[in-house]
Formats: sequence, structure tokens, C-alpha cells
Amino acid sequence: MELFLQTLLNGLLMAGVYALVATGLALSLGVVGIVNFAHGEFLMLGAYLSYLLFALWGLDPLLSLGLAFAAAFAVGGLTYYGLIRPVLKAPELNQMLLTFGLSVILQNLALLLFGADTRVVAPPYQAATLTLGPFFLGAVPFGAFLLSAGLLLLLQAFFTRSRLGLAMRAVAQNRLAPGLLGIEAEGVYLLAFGLAAALAGAAGVMLSVMLYASPTVGFLFTLKSFAIVALAGLGNLKGVFPAALVLALAEALVSTYVPGGGGWVEAVFFLVLFLALVGRSRRAL
Amino acid sequence: MRKVWLLIGLLGMAWAQTQVKVGVLLPLSGPSSVSGKAALNGIQLAADEVNAQGKVRLELVVADDGTDPAKAVPALTKLLTVDRVNVVIGGLASGVTFALSGTVKQYQPLFLAIGAASSVVEQAFEGYPLFFHYHPWDYHNVAAALQFFRYLAQAHGAKKVAILYEDGPFGSAGIKVYQEQLKNLGYQVQAEPFKTGSGQFTPVLTRFKAFAPDILYWIGYDVDALPIAAQARQVGLRPKLIYGAPPSWPIGFEKNPLSQDVAGMTAWLPTVSNTASRRFVEAYRKKYGEVTEEYMAPMGYVIVKSLAQAVERAGSAQKERIAEALAGLRMDTPFGPLSFKPSDTGKTRYQGFGPEVWFQFQYIQGTRRPVFPKEKATVPFRYPGEYYLR
Repeated sequence: MELFLQTLLNGLLMAGVYALVATGLALSLGVVGIVNFAHGEFLMLGAYLSYLLFALWGLDPLLSLGLAFAAAFAVGGLTYYGLIRPVLKAPELNQMLLTFGLSVILQNLALLLFGADTRVVAPPYQAATLTLGPFFLGAVPFGAFLLSAGLLLLLQAFFTRSRLGLAMRAVAQNRLAPGLLGIEAEGVYLLAFGLAAALAGAAGVMLSVMLYASPTVGFLFTLKSFAIVALAGLGNLKGVFPAALVLALAEALVSTYVPGGGGWVEAVFFLVLFLALVGRSRRAL
Repeated sequence: MRKVWLLIGLLGMAWAQTQVKVGVLLPLSGPSSVSGKAALNGIQLAADEVNAQGKVRLELVVADDGTDPAKAVPALTKLLTVDRVNVVIGGLASGVTFALSGTVKQYQPLFLAIGAASSVVEQAFEGYPLFFHYHPWDYHNVAAALQFFRYLAQAHGAKKVAILYEDGPFGSAGIKVYQEQLKNLGYQVQAEPFKTGSGQFTPVLTRFKAFAPDILYWIGYDVDALPIAAQARQVGLRPKLIYGAPPSWPIGFEKNPLSQDVAGMTAWLPTVSNTASRRFVEAYRKKYGEVTEEYMAPMGYVIVKSLAQAVERAGSAQKERIAEALAGLRMDTPFGPLSFKPSDTGKTRYQGFGPEVWFQFQYIQGTRRPVFPKEKATVPFRYPGEYYLR
């Protein structure tokens, strides 16, 4: 029983970071209508920024969070303005190819600048542990979970309490009607895409502490985010956290209880994606 | 008149100098890039020294194999057909080297293998007469590691090993045999695969807690080093030794407090005190302004130095004559003495180093220090490690 509860705790903590990354993807998909394959590269940007600030000036990754959020927002905004906006009305395949190409370019740019080497940061609390009776909680995963939850709650408040947030939801629901009511769709798209990148950038800082910074660190999270977004329902922001929880718990349970499960854990999101897509198509029949 | 004599002198030197074009095929990107770049530094350092001496002139043509057979095979074909090299230094990652064997056999260069420890590679190059393998084979690596585990059992009473192995060819090949050998030493073994780079070890490490291992042994890549060290602490796993076997360690790992007392195996460290090693460290620092801890740097250096000596002895750029001279060569290296003999299985003719070059190190206060065997240790072995005592 103790092992089972510890496994659930492990899954719950991981779900926070998954939800943060996937919310960004859901935003760009739901509001802007773009399948962004380069989403993980914004995460990579945050991870490298955290590493650089730590390596050059010894800046604690916690302090890098705000900067990474702002930097990724700026890069996201520029990406939207320079690359996404011109193809908004292009066929979906063209849009996907564009973001896929952007992902390859950003990965190779990182390869050129930093090489393929894995970079790590070393804040003093990296391996700190909290004990709750017989259970162990890594301080960093727990902190990342709280931060993710905090950011997602702020985002929720922004969507429900602010005019801009309401405008975003309106654009997500219908692309034409908000324009008739005087909502500037262009600005909303820019903000949504920037915000999506910023959430990934913040997640990247957390992952630089939990894992590492490397040119490919974001790729796996992009794939998992697609599974989460598919499970939540495309563009459904409220469904992202429960979906992230399902994926993270499924991974933790497979890893703990299936013999040789550690090797299978990366296949879980494929299974989740497959089941979500099949389930949806059946419901649609 | 003096100018004429000078010209004649220079022409004479050029006449006496043997020129060889050498293809260098290394992983400068991809998972083995840390080792590949270190090897290239060593190769370039040695080539500079050789060219400065003037008896042999080596022209290096460098290509990146991307740690990927799909990139490596065309890159080698280009080296052999477009750049027309007769001598190739390469073959660092086993999977890539295995894929190169067909092209090597087709164009028949003198192939000087820098890494490629897997005995699958030994099989692939069986009978190829121009194959010189400098690095020990995997059975040498296993023998050296088992010697350490025997010591841990006898001197420190270690009884249980939890093995985390990545589920690709690097981590999985021979894992069953390895487990058997550890059991033969009296160990209880629990082994779990993982996906390299996933960073998710908490569930498996949580499961290991019930097993309460004395040794947590992971076979994976540099990306896994920090998550394993951190997550073992986070789940409350307290092994007495964390022992890793990646091809290279992540940049900055030694500065991270989590690396304290983590152990691993290497063939060389800058603290190795033989004359050739000291000379190499000094030359490396002079050229690059830093000291490397990657053993692939001196390995690349040794290959080029031995090649230059063989070319000088052969007095020819002909690959067969160079190979003949190389086969009879004896030289002191940062790893110890080098000479070639048939491999233990008899499949390849020219094997350079054996299990004797390996030793165990621990990260101690930000640097790697040799700790086993005793004759190579510079500091006492710390067992149990900090992660157990905390």
C-alpha cells in the first residue's frame, strides 16, 4: 500500500510540469489554431537560459523563472509575428510543416551554440527531500508542482476575470464573431502564442533543475503534451490538468508495477494518445 | 649561394618527409559527442607535434559521424573515395563502427579504431588484416568492473546490486551475462531497464528501496547522471555506492554537490602519474588552456603518435607497410605500454590495450580521483558514500 501511495505521489508531482507544458500547447492550438511542433523548443530556451545564468553569474534558477518567462514570451511573440501570422490562413499541413521546420532549426541552432553536451545546474536544494510519514517528496518536483499549479491558477483567473482573458476565450470559441464585437483577434493571437511560449519557457527552467539542458530536452515533452491535449480535447484548457494527471499516473504505475516498466514508460503516452483518439472517434459515430 | 644551399636543404627535408593523408571520423554531435570532441582534441594535438618534428607530415581530414550509422557510412565513403585517404582513425561508438565494417572491407583502408568496445564489432572485423583496435574490448571492461565488485564484496561486505540499464544496445547488450557474473560473485541482483533521457527514475528507484541495495549501478548516458543522483536522494534510496558507466559524464557534473562520491570506471585521468601522461597533460594545457578528464583525448593522441612512428619506421605512406610497422611497435603511452597482439578470442589480429588500463574513480570535491585498484589510487576509496551517510 505504501509503495502504491508513493507511486501516486510521484505521478502527481510530475503531472504539474506536464500540465504547464501542455497548457501552452493547448493555448496555441485552441486560440491561434496552430499545431505547434516547435513548442518544446521554447522549453529548451528556458532550460538553456537557466543554465547560462547559473553558469555565468551563479543566478539561482528560481530567480531565472521570471526572466525565462519574459524571454520566451518575447521569442514566442516574434515567432508569431514573423512566421505564424503569414500562414494563419494557409492549409493546416503547411502550418505544421512550418512549425516542424522551426523546431529543427531551433534544435540545430542550440547544437551550434552549445554543442550536443548535456548541461546541468547545481542549486543547493537540488536533491532536498521532504518526508511525510513514510513518504518521500523531492523538494524540487514538489516546488515545480506548486509553481505549475500557481501559474495555471493565475492563468485560469486571467481567463475568467480579465477582459483580455475573456476576449481570448471568445476568439478560441469563434474566430469571426469577436471581430464583429470589436475584439482585435490579431492582438489576441499574439498574446496567446507568446503566453504559450512563456509557459514552456518557465517549465524549461524547472526542468533544467530536475533534468538537464540539451538541444533535445523539449522534444519528448512536446510529444507528451500532444497526448495530453488530445486526451483533454483539442483546445480545452480546463481538461489539461486532469489529462496530465492521467498520463503522469499511468507512467508512474507502469514504471512501478509492470516488469521492466522503466523501458516501457515512454510508450505510455502513445497508448494514451491512441486510446483518446479511438475513444473520441467512437463517441463521434 | 647560401640561399641555394638553404633551398637544397629544404628540398632535401621535404624529400625525406613522408606525407600521409588521414581520415578522422568521429562523433562530433549526437550522444557520444563529448568523447568524440575530446578524441579530436587529442588527435589534433598529436598531429601538430608530429608535423612540427618534420619527419612525417600528417594531413587530417575530419568528418562528423553524428553518432549515427546513417550519417557515418556516407561520411566514411566520402573520406575514402572523394578525399582518397588510405588511413582512417575512427570508430568510437560500437553501433556506428559495426555499420562501417562493410564500407571498410570494400575500400580496405588501414582502420585505427579508437573505441568500439562491443565484441559485435570484433566479430564484424574478423579476419580484416588492416584493423587495429586500440581500446579494450567489452569483455576486458567487464573483467575490470567485476574485479572491483569482487573487492566490494570481499573488503566491504557488499551483497546487493540494483542495476539500472538503458534499454538500447549500449545498456542492454550482455546485461543477462553480466547479471549472472555478479550472481557468481555472490551478489543478489535486481535489474531494471529505463529509457535514456526520460529523466523519470522515481518509480523504479522507489521500487529499489524495498530491495535496499548496497550498490546502485547504472548503465546509461550522460543525460541520466544527474536525474539518477538527485532522484535517488529524493525517494530516500540510500545505497552505499552509486556506480555509473556512461561513455561520458555531463558538463559541470563534477561541480554539482550531487556528484560527491559517485564512482565510475575510466582508462585515464590527468592525475595518472607516468611520464607519458604528464607530458600529454602539459602539452594539452599549453594548446587548449585547460585540462581534460576524458580518456578519449589521450587515446586519440596515442593513435596519432603510434601512426607517426609507424610511418617513420616504414618510410612509406603505403598502408600495408605502415600496418606492418605498427604491428611491431612498442611505445609508452599515458595508459601504460602499448603493443599489438591478437585479441583474446583470436578474431582480430591487432589488439592494443587490455583490462589493465581500467581503474575506478570517485568524484571527490569537484574532481575525479582514482580509488581502485590500490596501486593506481591517489586517495582512499570512500565507502559508504556521502549519499548513504547523509
